[in-house]
Amino acid sequence: MIHPLLPDQLQKTQETMRMAAEFILRPISRKYDKAEHEPPVEMEQLNQAAAAQAAEKDSGMGDDSIKSMDLKGRNLWAVISLEQMCWGDVGLFLARPGTGLGNAAIMAVGNPDQKTKWGKRWASMAITEPAAGSDSKNIATTAVLDGDEWIINGEKIYVTDGDRCDCVVVWATLNKAMGKTAIRSFLVEKGTPGFSVARLEKKLGIRASDTATLIFDNCRIPRENLLGGKEEVEMDADAAKKSFGGAMQTFDNTRPMVAGMAIGLGQAALDMTRALLAEEGYEDNFGASMGQQTAIQYELEMLDAELEAARLLVYKSAWMMDNKMPNSKEASMGKAKAGRIGNKISLKCVEICSMQGFSEDHLLEKFSRDSKILDIFEGTQQIQQLIVARQVLNKSSAELK
Amino acid sequence: MQDYKTEHPFDITLSEEQQMTWDMLKKFAETEMRPNARATEAAGRPEPELLEKMKGLDLISLAIPEAYGGMEIAQDATSQALALEALAYGDLSLAMSLSLPMLTAKIITEHGSEEQKEALLKQYSAGSIFHVGLGLNNSNVMGDPLHSGILINESEDDLILNGTMTGVAFAGEATSFLISATSDSGESNLYVLDKDTEGLEIVSKEFMGLKGLPLSELQLANCKIKTSQKLGGHNYSINFQELLDSSRIGMSAMALGVCQAVLDYVVPYTNERVAFDEPISNRQSVAFMVADMAIETEALRLMVYKAAALKDLGADFHKQASLTYKFAAHHGMKIGTDGVQLLGGHGFTHEHPVELWYRNLRAIGIFEGGAGV
Repeated sequence: MIHPLLPDQLQKTQETMRMAAEFILRPISRKYDKAEHEPPVEMEQLNQAAAAQAAEKDSGMGDDSIKSMDLKGRNLWAVISLEQMCWGDVGLFLARPGTGLGNAAIMAVGNPDQKTKWGKRWASMAITEPAAGSDSKNIATTAVLDGDEWIINGEKIYVTDGDRCDCVVVWATLNKAMGKTAIRSFLVEKGTPGFSVARLEKKLGIRASDTATLIFDNCRIPRENLLGGKEEVEMDADAAKKSFGGAMQTFDNTRPMVAGMAIGLGQAALDMTRALLAEEGYEDNFGASMGQQTAIQYELEMLDAELEAARLLVYKSAWMMDNKMPNSKEASMGKAKAGRIGNKISLKCVEICSMQGFSEDHLLEKFSRDSKILDIFEGTQQIQQLIVARQVLNKSSAELK
Repeated sequence: MQDYKTEHPFDITLSEEQQMTWDMLKKFAETEMRPNARATEAAGRPEPELLEKMKGLDLISLAIPEAYGGMEIAQDATSQALALEALAYGDLSLAMSLSLPMLTAKIITEHGSEEQKEALLKQYSAGSIFHVGLGLNNSNVMGDPLHSGILINESEDDLILNGTMTGVAFAGEATSFLISATSDSGESNLYVLDKDTEGLEIVSKEFMGLKGLPLSELQLANCKIKTSQKLGGHNYSINFQELLDSSRIGMSAMALGVCQAVLDYVVPYTNERVAFDEPISNRQSVAFMVADMAIETEALRLMVYKAAALKDLGADFHKQASLTYKFAAHHGMKIGTDGVQLLGGHGFTHEHPVELWYRNLRAIGIFEGGAGV
């Protein structure tokens, strides 16, 4: 049945999450935007509220599954939930104690033992290096098996939650000369000798969330901390491709989530803009002709249309995951559209609200700074376009670089 | 936050029946309509033989009650949107040769008085499809779509109509017209106007696109009609906004069909076209245009589905229909222009259909009431 609509139960989830965003996140938004690098202790309230609701077996925000990223086929539910949280504040959402992108990786590629052991820990994800961003096959951090331990050496940058997490999923190569086929991910616990946090970035936006540089200097971890994949590099081309594909599969799962963040932020900017405009007598005029609309009515309707389009793409990609359909193309479509539209909307809203938009009296300027990262991390706009283009045009990565 | 209620989960799967209809119509569009798009444009109308085949699809009589010779299988809005998308995938002018009578018959069925239904619907099942010309397009530039370009004045038992309607298809074949008109109070309704009404002049017009449809302007100078010629009868009041919203979903569904046609054309073309010793699609500047085209087409599809699904649910769909139409107009035009761009100079010529789609896609966002759900 063609029914791209949310059932009442999910609408209830939306409302619960929106309330949490409005009453827990919004009041401390500005505080932690200013106080960069200070852990937002109030976020514990959110976890406590969640735990209390979980005890009542409520299917709203109380559900623990979003915290552990163990979604059990409820990706659409998760996207809708975090969309509302990010309506409140993306930076704070990312700084919520307990959940990181590493958790998604553990759930996507970990074996049952690993999921049990680490699934509910706070795991961040360390991929990017000073000389390897989007081309993760160029990773230079090494992992060498020595007896029953792996020795990790290298530097990781831009690790979200890298300072505050319990453990990190680190991408490293078994043999740099072998390219992407030799890349594996490893779980490194905080406090492991040889693992240190070197610095925290000062950033354009999402300042509530910490972004760390991590150093691994002869860091020894147990052999069983290899997440999925084989201990040796596959020589068979197909097996090797499959191995890297497994690691990349994490992104098919996380892209709808990050795209959902951009949708929530875009909606927040539009809502706040309309609230400011309403004070000066503004009313919408949907469906009217160009001659009948003011420039602001026209702009806002177009932005609404773009946001709704992005939202439906993202919901579809999550729905496909829930129904076990391969969604690599759709996940990238949603991320590409949501990333650019979230950014466009938030910047346009600052323009529409003029000096009030530009002012720190309101959060519009913050939204416009926060939004930029959503079109960069979890794959930039251009990486998403590349993934979509390769699939639509049926091209290999060697043909379409 | 949402203003609808439903127990049904999120879903984008076609029902078995929808899939069967879709497959059949898509095949018809590809094998019968697409190959005849140029010839139809050159002739300015569908060839009689092709038109007979199109009538044979039996799409028009679906909405017409059995009492008036129809099949009385009222389709839901999502199924109608799918059908319109499939037809437009073949050719927009040809698709509108069907979607216009489909919409006209549907409007008469839903809003007409017994007398009007008796007079106008029976001819559809007798094989006539253009006997009622639909006029919903204003000719003034600054117009409000809710206000007709035809003004109405009451004079005792008569109504006096003055003004201009344009983009009326197959006016030459029509024996009457169903046109919008607005009263002094600002209320818009539809009126049935006989072709021979004194003061009515039909002037043939040419447009940049939709050239496979004969289009005309209706000029009304003091046309006198009876109050009973109001659709639904003297005291009936049509929800003109809802009518417009339904037709906008329909036009957006057709835009989707054309956008998909452009995408499906440029993929093999850019993969086969070699420049600098490799297919041009090996370059990001080309490939990313194709990627964006695919992204926006898929987004438009979901927008159309959602608007239609809201209508089927009985929820308020005005906002969603407006957003969808705006999205269809904006991205339809972008996809049309990128389609030509990707073929370069070749795209500018009649050797390829992309310039035709470019011209036709410009009608989306302008042409009101060309199709409905």
